[in-house]
Amino acid sequence: MRIQIIGFGNIGKGLAKVLIRKEKLLKKKHDLKIKVVSITDVTGTAKDDNGINLSKALEIMENGRGILAYPKATKMNGIEAIKTIHADVVVEVTNTKIEDGEPGMSHMLQAIKQGKHVVTSNKGPLALKFQELNNSAKKNSVQFKFEASVGGAMPIINFAHETLSGDKINAIEGILNGTTNYILTRMSKEEKSFEMVLREAQEMGIAESDPSYDIDGIDTACKLVILANGILGIKKTYKDVKTQGIRKITPEAVKLAKEDGYVIKLIGEVKNNNLEVSPRLVPKNHPLNVEGVLNVALLKTDLAGDITIVGKGAGSIETNSAILSDIISIWRTGI
Amino acid sequence: MKISLDLQLKDVPGQLVKALVPISNFGGNIRSVVHMREEGPKGGRIPVHVDLNIDNPKSLEKILKDLEDKDIWVSKVGEIRKKKNITVIIIGHVVDTDVRDTIDKINDIHGAMVANLALAMPDPEEETSARMDIDVDDAEVVKIVLKRLDKIAKDKGFIVVKSLGV
Repeated sequence: MRIQIIGFGNIGKGLAKVLIRKEKLLKKKHDLKIKVVSITDVTGTAKDDNGINLSKALEIMENGRGILAYPKATKMNGIEAIKTIHADVVVEVTNTKIEDGEPGMSHMLQAIKQGKHVVTSNKGPLALKFQELNNSAKKNSVQFKFEASVGGAMPIINFAHETLSGDKINAIEGILNGTTNYILTRMSKEEKSFEMVLREAQEMGIAESDPSYDIDGIDTACKLVILANGILGIKKTYKDVKTQGIRKITPEAVKLAKEDGYVIKLIGEVKNNNLEVSPRLVPKNHPLNVEGVLNVALLKTDLAGDITIVGKGAGSIETNSAILSDIISIWRTGI
Repeated sequence: MKISLDLQLKDVPGQLVKALVPISNFGGNIRSVVHMREEGPKGGRIPVHVDLNIDNPKSLEKILKDLEDKDIWVSKVGEIRKKKNITVIIIGHVVDTDVRDTIDKINDIHGAMVANLALAMPDPEEETSARMDIDVDDAEVVKIVLKRLDKIAKDKGFIVVKSLGV
C-alpha cells in the first residue's frame, strides 16, 4: 500500500513512529506492507517511490528542520504532491482551521478526485463540509475515513458503523475534549479557580497557549458535527451547533454541584436533530463521569440500549491508533 | 401520561382479558393490574384497579368508549401525577439582578416551583453561583422551565448549567 502523508506535525510524525513500530505486525497479521511515498509539510515535499526512510525523516524534524531538509526534497506543496505522486491512500493531518477548513479541505477533495482513499484526523473540513467530502468520495468510489478526528483512540465511529451496524442510534452525548475534562476535574478535586487550573494545564502541555479552541467548546462542536453526520446521518455543520464553553465556570459552582452529587462536565450532545455543546451537571455515578483527559461517549441505541465508550482523547500515538485502524480497514476492503 | 382506572368486571371467566384488550388496542401501556377482591363483589361485579401509560388524552377517550361498549363499567378515572425535580446551577450576578424576580419568573409557570436555592458569593463584586432545585409536574413543564431559564439567562447575562438528560 502506497501512502502519502500531508502534514508532518505531531500527528504526522506520530504516524511515522507507529508505522516503524508496527511494520512487522502489519506484515504478519494483515499481510500489509506500507510504503510512505511522500511526506509534505509547510516547507515542501519529500518523495521516494521506494518508500521514504521514516527514521531519517523523523531525525530531520527532531533537529528542528522542515521536511525540505530530506534528501532530494522539493518545495512542492500538498496539492501538487497529491496530483503528481502515485499513491493509494492520502493521510491528511494538517492543522485544523475552523474558519475555512483549509488547506485540509482542498487536499482531501484533490485526493478524492485523483481516486485516492483519504484518512484524516483533521476536524475543520469535516465540521464545515462533511457532506461535500462524503458525497465526493462516494462519487469517486474511494473510501473516506475519519475515525481519528473524534476522540483520538476512542473508537466510536468504526464501532458505530461496524459493531452496531444493525442498531438505530438515536442520540449521542459525551465528553469529546480532554483539555476541558482535565480542567473541570482539577477544579472539582482541588477546588481551584478556572484560571489557575488552566495555567497548570498549559504548563503541562495539556492546554494550548491559546486555549480558546478547547475551552470555548469549538473543538467539541467540530467533533459533534462529525458524529452527527458520520453516525446519525444528520446534515448539520459547525454553524448549527449551539456552543457554550467553560470559561465562566466558577469554583463555587463546581462546589455547589458537588454538594448535590454532581460534577460539571463540558458535554456535546446530538439529539432530535439538535446539536449542543454546554457545561452540564453530570451525576457522580453516571458513566459520563470520567476524569482527567479521558474522552467518553454514550450512544443511545434501539436494540443494545445505552453503550458507553471511553478512551484517551488526544496524543499523537493514541490518535494514530485510529489512523492505523482506518488504513488497515481500507486494506481489508481492497484498495 | 400515567392513568389509573377503577373497573367493575362481571364475576365470570374471561372478563379481565376483555377489559385489557381495548387498553392495548388503543396504545395504552399497562403497568399494573390489581384485583380488589377484599372490597368484595358489588352487584355481581369485581373491582379491578389498572395503572397504565398513554401518549395522548385522545387514546384515553377511545379506551373508555370501547370499555363502555363492552359493558365494562369504569367507576373512576384518575391521572397519576408524579412530580419531577430538576437541578440547575446559575452563574452570574444572580443577587444584583433581583433574585426574587428570577424565582418569580419560574414560579409563574403553571406546574413549576423553586423548591430550594443555595447561593455562593465569593465577593460582592464577583459573580455569584447559585444551585436551584425546581419541582415540576411533568416533562412538558420541564421544557417550559428550561426555555424560561434560557430567556432569563439571556436577559440577565447568566450562564445556566443544566442537568444531563433534561
